[in-house]
Amino acid sequence: MNENKKVPQSTEDMFRFIDSNSISSEKIVAPRYSYWKSVFRVFFRKKTNIFLIAAFVIMLLVAFIMPSFWIYDPNENVTNAATFNLNPKQAMAYFHDGTLKWILGTGALGNSIFYGIVASAKTSLLLAIICAAINMSIGIVLGAVWGYSKKLDAVMLVIYQIIANVPYILLISVLVYVIGSGFWSFIFALTVTGWLPIAYFFRTQVMVIRDREYSLASRCLGTPVRRVISKNILPFLTSVIVTLLATELPSYINMEVFLSYIGVGLSASVPSLGRMIQQGQTAFMTFPHAFWPPVAVAAAITIILYLLGQNLADASDPRTHM
Amino acid sequence: MILNSPMKKYMFKRILFSIFSLLVVVMLVMLLVFSLIERSVIFQQDDVWNKRNNNDRSMYEYAQYQKYGYLTYVDYSSFLREKYIGLYGDEYDKEADFIKDRSVIQKPDEYLNNETVQEFKAKYEAEGYVIKYLEPVKYKSGKQKPGGSGYLVAVQEKSVVLRLWDYVKGFFTVETTRSVDDPNLEDRYIHFEKDPYSGLFAVTGSGTTHKYLLYFDGHFPFIHQNFIHINLGTSFTTYRGQEITTVINTPTGGLDPVKQQYPNKIGTDEYVDTAIDFHSLTYNPNTTEAERELYSDNYTTASFRQKGLSMLETSFVIGIISIIIAYSVGLPLGILVARRKDKLADKLGNAYIIFIMSVPALAYIFLFAAIGTSLFNLPYKFANSTNKVLAYFLPVISLALPQIGSLMKWMRRYMIDQMNSDYVKFARAEGMSEKEIYRIHISKNALIYLVHGIPGAVLFCLTGAIMTERVYGVPGVGNLLTTAINKHDNGVIVACTVFYTSLSILAIILGDVLLAKYDPRISLSSEGGGGR
Repeated sequence: MNENKKVPQSTEDMFRFIDSNSISSEKIVAPRYSYWKSVFRVFFRKKTNIFLIAAFVIMLLVAFIMPSFWIYDPNENVTNAATFNLNPKQAMAYFHDGTLKWILGTGALGNSIFYGIVASAKTSLLLAIICAAINMSIGIVLGAVWGYSKKLDAVMLVIYQIIANVPYILLISVLVYVIGSGFWSFIFALTVTGWLPIAYFFRTQVMVIRDREYSLASRCLGTPVRRVISKNILPFLTSVIVTLLATELPSYINMEVFLSYIGVGLSASVPSLGRMIQQGQTAFMTFPHAFWPPVAVAAAITIILYLLGQNLADASDPRTHM
Repeated sequence: MILNSPMKKYMFKRILFSIFSLLVVVMLVMLLVFSLIERSVIFQQDDVWNKRNNNDRSMYEYAQYQKYGYLTYVDYSSFLREKYIGLYGDEYDKEADFIKDRSVIQKPDEYLNNETVQEFKAKYEAEGYVIKYLEPVKYKSGKQKPGGSGYLVAVQEKSVVLRLWDYVKGFFTVETTRSVDDPNLEDRYIHFEKDPYSGLFAVTGSGTTHKYLLYFDGHFPFIHQNFIHINLGTSFTTYRGQEITTVINTPTGGLDPVKQQYPNKIGTDEYVDTAIDFHSLTYNPNTTEAERELYSDNYTTASFRQKGLSMLETSFVIGIISIIIAYSVGLPLGILVARRKDKLADKLGNAYIIFIMSVPALAYIFLFAAIGTSLFNLPYKFANSTNKVLAYFLPVISLALPQIGSLMKWMRRYMIDQMNSDYVKFARAEGMSEKEIYRIHISKNALIYLVHGIPGAVLFCLTGAIMTERVYGVPGVGNLLTTAINKHDNGVIVACTVFYTSLSILAIILGDVLLAKYDPRISLSSEGGGGR
């Protein structure tokens, strides 16, 4: 204490010589690493991805904006039998109105196939996005807790084994029967147990990371469980989540097509690709123009979603960031 | 068995747990189909129901509900009949008391004062039934409307637990010499004897429902037994009143007569052309003298032998061929694309995998159908096809191609994971050739992950394929459940659930066992081996 009160004197020994190189040699000179920046850098390095993004955006814009201009009415020509099952050439000649409306011909009741496909694409995309959002968020949160807690694991495994064995076609049919087959009821039917397989998949992933050394170390240092899950485990699983999303999104579109085909799909008032395919398949040899366009659109949507998801998943794996 | 003792204990526990979860699944499904769905839907397409009116219609509803397993009910008139048969014998319906008791329920004001009605009410209310009185429906003139006569019934709703119990009780039937309830039958036995139809031995019985309990014949699966009968469930609408096991196992190709002898003609040279399957003889208490003469005992009811494949066999044949193709093509292709990683073969393989994985299954099934019928002139509809072998092509291909895609995808992935591991580098340093490394080390280790799925793939051939069978019109089992759901055939729904669940439980257990056999490092039970 006394020393401090002394009047400082400028002497040589108060200073020492510091080599500028040794300061910088203490610092690690590396480019700043930002995870998401690296993800997008890797993602956009591939030229096909730019093309895929463009296709995806166009698809979204057409599906969500155009149906309000191109209003689809499946029953507009229902009284005029001359308009039924026209192929594109006949339809363009018959209606002669110079719009895109009849470019793909007419369906079994004189409905415009082109407008139908656009309206259906909107339904399919919305369905896929909403179902994936609900199932993935419930599945990931519950799966993380399920994988982390050993007590919960025993209980959840029993529930999983039982519910996974109830035929899902039966479950969906009964639910659609009880609560109706409107858009939101259908989403409810697809999500009421749809999160369970995702949670189960996620539980296994979490269990692997849970017992890694760095998680153990965190636990020893007294880090709360919530923090271990959110900071240690989830970031490690980002690429797993994106991979899952890449398979989940198209799977709901496929599911809708399948369920419509076996007769438990969306109600007739909601335009959907599954219903259009189902209606077209009965005469797909004689009127191919009513069958292949919705099939092609469903295939295009699912391929774009799948590829985009897969490539994003590849990019979100930190091992590719070198 | 090679299973050691901790393994046995583990398996025992697992099987017990599987039975428990099977029961819970059945209960859940029963809750879904019996409680959640409005029961009146079963009459939507019922002509009989449409023709009946007023109380007759209600009575028909009760009878149908009982048949479908919703409830049990007792009609007052049957109660009455039993009571008076006990009192007066067969001529009961001429007694004045009976006529009085029978007609009283047509009088809404006084029926409650009748003693027999009170007796009926007291008896069934004590057993938990609810008494319902259907008042006679009359025109204003006092004349009775059609179907409007009055009824008195006691109704009891079946609870889920009771329904499950009834189902489990009826699931197994074991044959004993007491199975036939006929006081005139004195000679009861089960013994071995020489089977005149196959030339081999057979176990036959008397007093049992079936005459032949164990026998051999030239039909799949060649050894047949009737000791234990499993009843998965009974169809109500689609296959009126038949057991679902019979439905899926009976060939559908029409009668198949062969030269055979009736039991009493054995030893003579008198042959007849008949489709009767003498191995399926069952006891018939009302056998006529002429039949007894011909069959030399009371076992005179038999089913007919039919040509062709059963629903189950059709699905299984298509499934198993496609699996053999898928494994023998998919695995080598997976190895090939892994070895040519990032080269042209890999890119082509990847494009195929992406196509198969992302496009709706319905889309590529129809695509195969269109290509196959227009380019290769293959038959489209299975049942209409004249060439029975060519008809299998499209369904088999439609099932095999997606499986090839998924096997390729996983095989490639596991191969590439293994390719970078230390033991491969070591093998290379030792100077092993690339071919040897791939064959002995990498493929073997990569296959570990795929072995688990093989039993499941084989077993699930038995459930058929919903879409493929629908598109090509294959008469298989794939659409049993979906048709049953559309027709509210609750018995079939429950039967399908039990069938599918048992298969999937069995598939996982067999997969685990196969995995443990293939890779000795893996131990299933926590006590043995290196697992925790």
